Amino acid sequence: MREKVAAQPPDEGGGTRGLPLTRPSGTLSRKGRGGPPSRPRRQTDVETWVAGMITLIARRIATAFMTILAVVVLSGLLVHVVPGDPVTAMMAQSVTASPEVMAEMRSQLGLDLPVWQQVARYAGGVLTGDLGTTIRGNEPVARLLLERLPNTFILAASGLGVALVLGVPLGFIAAINRGRLADTAVMIIAVLGVSIPGFWLGLAMIQIFSLKLGWFPVAGTNARNLVLPALTLGLIYCALVARMTRSALIEILAEDYIRTARARGLREREVLLVHALKPALISIVTVVGLVFAYLMGGQVIIENVFSWNGIGRLAIQAMLQRDYPMIQGFIVVFATSVVVVSMSLDILYGILDPRMRQR
Amino acid sequence: MNAPVRRRRRRLPLNVLLGLGLATIVVAVAVLAPVIAPFDPMRMAAGPRLAAPSLAHLFGTDEFGRDLFSRVVRGAHLSLGIGLAAVVAGLAVGGLIGLVAAFAGRLVEAVLLRVIDLLYSFPDTLIALALVAFLGPGLVNATIAIAVSLVPFYARVAYSLAVAERAKPYVEAARLAGIGSGRLVRVHVMPNIGQSLIVMATLGFSSAILSAAGLSFLGLGVQPPSPEWGAILASGRNYITKAPWILIFPGLAICMTVLAFNLLGDSLRDLADPRRTAPQRAGA
Repeated sequence: MREKVAAQPPDEGGGTRGLPLTRPSGTLSRKGRGGPPSRPRRQTDVETWVAGMITLIARRIATAFMTILAVVVLSGLLVHVVPGDPVTAMMAQSVTASPEVMAEMRSQLGLDLPVWQQVARYAGGVLTGDLGTTIRGNEPVARLLLERLPNTFILAASGLGVALVLGVPLGFIAAINRGRLADTAVMIIAVLGVSIPGFWLGLAMIQIFSLKLGWFPVAGTNARNLVLPALTLGLIYCALVARMTRSALIEILAEDYIRTARARGLREREVLLVHALKPALISIVTVVGLVFAYLMGGQVIIENVFSWNGIGRLAIQAMLQRDYPMIQGFIVVFATSVVVVSMSLDILYGILDPRMRQR
Repeated sequence: MNAPVRRRRRRLPLNVLLGLGLATIVVAVAVLAPVIAPFDPMRMAAGPRLAAPSLAHLFGTDEFGRDLFSRVVRGAHLSLGIGLAAVVAGLAVGGLIGLVAAFAGRLVEAVLLRVIDLLYSFPDTLIALALVAFLGPGLVNATIAIAVSLVPFYARVAYSLAVAERAKPYVEAARLAGIGSGRLVRVHVMPNIGQSLIVMATLGFSSAILSAAGLSFLGLGVQPPSPEWGAILASGRNYITKAPWILIFPGLAICMTVLAFNLLGDSLRDLADPRRTAPQRAGA
C-alpha cells in the first residue's frame, strides 16, 4: 500500500495499498551498479565485467548484512516498547505466575540486564543461530521457524508465480492497447485487486471452492491445499504486477529504437516480441523483489485464513499469546527472507542488464 | 463537432467523480451512523439469530441476533476514525522526519534516510503486526501501530518533495536573506508542498483501513463485540455456510471504502501532477 518515491517510474500504480514502486537504496537501488573505474592496465571486456559483477555482488551482500543486523537490533529493542513489564504481560493469562516464577523468567530472558546488553546478547545469539526459546513450551524458536519456513516459501513462490502468470500478460495487453477498452478493463481489475482485502477473497474462495463445490479441502498443508491460498495471493498481487508491467512497457514503447524498428517496416508483432519483450522482462525482474516482499506481508494473513502451516500462522499464534521470543524470531526470519530474495534479484538484474556489461 | 470536445472534458474527471462520489457516501454513512443505524449495533436479540437479509434487517442478523446493517454502518464510523487518526499522526510524524532530513544538514540527512529506507523495504502490514504484537491488541494500539507503519512512506514522500523545493531559487533567496531553516520550512516550503502531501495522505488512508481490518480479523486489532469490519468477519467465519451474509456485507463495505479512497487518491495525484498524466492517461 504505498508507492516509492525515489526514482519514481512513470507509473500511476502501486500507490493504492501503499506499495512502493521503487526500493530504497538498501535493497534494489541502482546505486553503485557500475563497474570499477577503468584501470591503466589493459583489460578485456569480460574481465571488466567480471570485476564489476564481483563489486556489485560484494556490495549487495554487505548491504543485506547491514540491513539484517539493523532488523535484529530493532527487534531486540521492540521488547522495550511494551508498556510496563513484558513478563507481566506475557504471564497475564497464566495461573502459575508467582513472583518467583516471574523473576526467574525475567533473568532467563535477560530482562534484568541493561538494555544495550540485552540487545547485544540477542544479536550475538542470532548470529550463532540461537533465537531463544518459546515462552509456552520452552522450545527453540529457530527450530520451530525453520521447520515451517519451507511451507511459507512454497506458498509465496506459488503465489508469486500465479501473480506473474496473470499480471505480466495483463500488463502487456493494457500497454499495447493503451487508452482503449482492454486497457481500461485491466486498470479496473488492477484497482479492484488493490482494494479487495486478501483475507476476504480467501474466505470467498473457501466458501465457493471448498464448501459449495468441494473441490479442495478447507484447511491444511499439502499439495491440494496449496491451490486456493496460492490463487488468492496471486489474484491480489497480479494487480500490482499488471500495473508495473504496463508502465514498464509503455516506457519502452516510447523509446527511439522501437520507433526505428517500426520505421524499418517490421510488423508490430515482431516489434513487440523481438524488441520490446526483453527489456520489459528485465525491468519486471527489478520489481519482482518488491512484489515478493509485499506478497510475503499479505501472506501472513492468508496463511491464517487457510490454516497453512507457515511462519505467518506460527507468528500470529505467538502474537495472540504474547510469546515475545517467537515474535522476535519471526521478525528476524521474515526480514532475512525478504532481504535475501531482493538481494538475489538485484544481482540477477545486474547480470541480465546489458548496460552492465558495457561499463 | 461538439461530441469530441464534450467527451474530452468528461473523461478526466470520471475517476475523480466516481472516487469522490463513493467517498462522500462512505463518509456520510460514517458520520451519520448513529442516525442511520436502525438498531443499537451491540444490542443482542434485536431479531432472530442468523436471520437472512429481510426488510426488517437489511443485511440479516448475526449469531447473537444483532442487526448486521447497524453493525456495518457503525463499523464505517470505527474504520474511518482509525484510518483518519492513523493518517494524521503518520503524516505529522513522517512529514516532520522528511522535512528535517531535507533541511537539517548532511549528517542528519544521511542517518535519517538510512533508517527510513530500512523501514521502507518492509511491507507496512508487517510493521503494524510487529508493533501491535508488542503493544498488545486494542483500538488505540492498533491505530498507533498503523500510524507508525505509515511513517516511512510519508517521510519518504515529504523528503522527496522537500528536496525538489530545496533546489528552487526562492529557497536560496530566503537563505541569503538570513532566514533560518526552521522558519524557512514553516513559512516558505510547507505551503508549497502541503497540497502534494495531502494528496499522498489519501493513498495512505485506504492502506490504513485495510491494515485495520486485517489486524482486527486476526484478533490483534479492535476486539469483539465492537462492530469493526475485520472483527465481524472473524466471528462470522464460523457461520460461513449457515449465514454467508455475515461475511458478504462487511467485506463489501471494506472493498467499497478502500476502492473509493484508492480512486480518489489516484485521480487527485494525476490532477496534481499533470506531467505524469498527460502522456499516459490520454483517453484512459
